[in-house]
Amino acid sequence: MMDLTTNYLGLNLKNPIVVGSCNLTSSVSEIKKLEKNGAGAIVLKSIFEEEILMDAESQLREAKENKFIYDQYSETLDYIDLHVKEERLSNYIQLIKNAKKEVLIPVIASVNCVSSAEWTSFAKRIEEAGADALELNISLSPTDLEIRDFESTIKEIIQKVLAQVSIPVAVKINNSFTHMARTILDLSETGIAGLVLFNRAYAPDIDINTFEAVQGRSFSSPNGYAEPLRWIALFSDKVNCSLAASSGIHTTEVIIKQILAGADVVQVVSVLYEQGIEHIHVLLSEIEKWMNEKGFSSLEQFKGKASSKNAGNPAVFERIQFMKHFAGIN
Amino acid sequence: MENIAEYLKQERSQEWREEIRKSMKSKDRTSKVRVHMPEEDPIERAKSNIEVNTGLTVQMAVEEAQRCLDCPDPTCMQGCPVSINIPKFVKYIEKQDFAMAARTLKETNALPAVCGRVCPQEIQCEASCFYTLKLKKTPVAIGNLERFAADWERNSGAMYTPEVAPPNGIKVAVIGSGPSGLAVAGDLIKLGYSVSVFEALHEPGGVLKYGIPEFRLPNEIVDVEIDNLKKMGVEFINNFVVGKTATIEDLKEEGYQAFYAGSGAGLPNFMNIPGENANGIMSSNEYLTRVNLMNAADDDYDTPVFLGKNVAVIGGGNTAMDSVRTAKRLGAERAMIIYRRTIEEMPARVEEIKHAQEEGIEFLNLNSPVEYFADKKGRVNKMRVQKMELGEPDASGRRRPVPIEGSEYEIETDLVIVSVGVSPNPLIPQSLPGLDVSRWGTIIVDDKDMQSSIPELFAGGDIVRGGATVILAMGDGRNAAAGIHKYLQNKNK
Repeated sequence: MMDLTTNYLGLNLKNPIVVGSCNLTSSVSEIKKLEKNGAGAIVLKSIFEEEILMDAESQLREAKENKFIYDQYSETLDYIDLHVKEERLSNYIQLIKNAKKEVLIPVIASVNCVSSAEWTSFAKRIEEAGADALELNISLSPTDLEIRDFESTIKEIIQKVLAQVSIPVAVKINNSFTHMARTILDLSETGIAGLVLFNRAYAPDIDINTFEAVQGRSFSSPNGYAEPLRWIALFSDKVNCSLAASSGIHTTEVIIKQILAGADVVQVVSVLYEQGIEHIHVLLSEIEKWMNEKGFSSLEQFKGKASSKNAGNPAVFERIQFMKHFAGIN
Repeated sequence: MENIAEYLKQERSQEWREEIRKSMKSKDRTSKVRVHMPEEDPIERAKSNIEVNTGLTVQMAVEEAQRCLDCPDPTCMQGCPVSINIPKFVKYIEKQDFAMAARTLKETNALPAVCGRVCPQEIQCEASCFYTLKLKKTPVAIGNLERFAADWERNSGAMYTPEVAPPNGIKVAVIGSGPSGLAVAGDLIKLGYSVSVFEALHEPGGVLKYGIPEFRLPNEIVDVEIDNLKKMGVEFINNFVVGKTATIEDLKEEGYQAFYAGSGAGLPNFMNIPGENANGIMSSNEYLTRVNLMNAADDDYDTPVFLGKNVAVIGGGNTAMDSVRTAKRLGAERAMIIYRRTIEEMPARVEEIKHAQEEGIEFLNLNSPVEYFADKKGRVNKMRVQKMELGEPDASGRRRPVPIEGSEYEIETDLVIVSVGVSPNPLIPQSLPGLDVSRWGTIIVDDKDMQSSIPELFAGGDIVRGGATVILAMGDGRNAAAGIHKYLQNKNK
């Protein structure tokens, strides 16, 4: 029997496969199926600040068009955004409570926020509902010209949330920072329990027949794994928090690579949509098979074995080496 | 619609109307300035429950009625949810036949003294007045004239009780005795039905009693209207919660053949911010009900309300204004409105805001509470508020409040009244699984007859609209009465 246990955010997981935040983690019945199929932990579907605002807008429009719903002088509609938010948040709190009742694996709540304004108090309620940890998916829009210092804003959000809760907090970031190395190091020192590398940005596209802007590919690309791999390999020895690899985790081989680089867990989503949630079993048995072939009996024995520090050729993870290679420089 | 136009034309061509029209040139009428409604002194009235508006004198009412041009196409009526024959009652006032003016009002409005006080005429009849639409002048003070006629009749001691058809033996249950319930009861009793109004509280009147303070609508005025309905034969059953005391099924077994749900929107919303459960923080529904209906301001009663020195009312609607002005009258040294937008975006009527300002209410606009703090006994003693700025307009067209990071500060407070809206009373929908309700929890009804997905159940007022005005609720009641009549006539053919 192979020991696949790993520690992520201070939580003991039976294996490193964490189902990332998605529709598969939006209901208790689905979460139970994920546990049954072997998931080590789940990250609940994110509650999106922007979605709440959009829902409030849509309700205002609907109320105005509805012959009966009274909108003039209405105090209720004057505060509709608060009421919509509360309804959404209450439902989310209930989802956490119900999930905690029904499954034994860790349940990680997820908040997708664009500001610190109103989410810090919600973090407290998430903790009180029983979530094992909180993943902050901080989506500051790169098109927002008002934000001048993304890193500082993110750190401010983190500090406010950490002041409210004692459960572990992970932060999921995208891979578009000016100075990624500095960002990873700085964030890891804020007191968070983990970093999730990386969030995948919404992909826009254009329909050349209708000339309309449309949503691009929904799923991650199998080639996307290299970015988390690079940064996890470079920093798994340097940070004092857990690291999760996310984006492009489609095969057993990639999972093993991420753990070799030093990831504590991987987050999978797209592959479960493409192969079905039963595929978690396949991934786990293939990891065990590989471990058996390589003579490992536990995950800890090979975690970080190919990190930047331990790899035979650490410079391969550094961008400059990549450029030199194509430039023909030795 | 054609019949109504014809009816109005006939009424307008009556000799007395023509004489009144000819008695003054239109130019002279339009040159008159709108008569100002007299008000009690703000400093004096803020110390007591006396009514703010004191009402027009006979001379003032006649003067104001003379401004009305008695238009051939009375657009003002289109703005009235209960289609009062406005030019007819106004011209009766000009003729100084006040009894007939009151009777005209009662043809379509069961509660004219109430509507004359609390209707937002500025967005209804007066917004559609010829003066507003065409002359770009201040409209005829229709609401003030309505109040005048109704008050005159009440004070005359000769209240007109509308005629009632012989009893037809068919029982109808009205759930809730607010404005829509009273309107449906008034119309159905006239048609000969046996009408029972079930009220959850210990007094009938619904929001007219518990929600609107004495200084805007004295309870005595509502009682007179209710007594009038009693004289017509309407039965009022208090302390009876339909859905708890008895279900609709139970009432069916008692012989009721149709039901009208007018149970209102009595479920208060809160902001759900930290500390909101502290003692001394309550909804405006609770505060106003306890003060208006349960004498909570009097220590001799069983359920006294805490009289705060620093009272913060959260919200900018009419209920918020009623609450903060009540707190001022109960001795608050600092009575504050804390509202996250500016005065321009406030949903409260302009008149209510003006009265509140005159009475010394402090307006902390562009502020929103983010947390409450309590003392060792769990009683609120402080609140943290955050300053806001206005961002892009939302779907309502009003600019959205956006929090200013780092702008939080603290305010001492010992009583907080949250007035950020209400949700429909869930008792009726919860007790009827087959009932269609909207995403807001309101009962879905058809446009014309106010009939729900359960054929024998009709509904109107706040439980359909989610928090509306007295007159809209009454309009629903009148439409529902017509719908119930049609339904029962078909059923009992």
